[in-house]
Amino acid sequence: MLGQVLAEFPGKVRLVFKDFPLDFRPGARPAAEAARCAGALGRFWEYHDLLFLAQPAFSRGDLVAYASRLGLDRAAFSACLEAGRYRRAVDGDVAEGRALGVTGTPTFFVNGRRMVGAHPIETFREAVQDALADAARK
Amino acid sequence: MTRRLALVALAIGLWSAACGAQTETPGSATVTVDAAMVKGAAEAPVTIVEFSDYQ
Repeated sequence: MLGQVLAEFPGKVRLVFKDFPLDFRPGARPAAEAARCAGALGRFWEYHDLLFLAQPAFSRGDLVAYASRLGLDRAAFSACLEAGRYRRAVDGDVAEGRALGVTGTPTFFVNGRRMVGAHPIETFREAVQDALADAARK
Repeated sequence: MTRRLALVALAIGLWSAACGAQTETPGSATVTVDAAMVKGAAEAPVTIVEFSDYQ
């Protein structure tokens, strides 16, 4: 859905994804690390989209299979995942989120304006229009 | 292929209804940005930061 917002405001919006795996969702953390491994191989967003379609099937075998489906180097991906190469990076995102008061997912900041939970696309359109108007006034 | 941008700071102001404050204000914070996890124009005037998980 946010991809649609980016398309509707070409050149005006950028999206930054931050990991915030919740402790009571056991598959969330390995999925987050796996997406970063896919990112290291150049396919973060494709893998990210695949995970949302595939949830909650996040066994180790599932995660590797999704990488294979995208044509990623299976050995390199598996090595990344097994080594926990992005564990600390995910921890870092969680710490940054907590510092910002994030407690649940998804939480969005639109030029700093917090939006908690899922929202219809109209709400994002309005938030972007408001932020553009604020930016134009500066 | 993907490079980690070390501490490329993105200021996130904790939104204030009173002044619309965004950056470098008391209560603001910075987040690191991984180049692989960003979409859209680098110079875009609006940044959406999404904290999420996959479940």
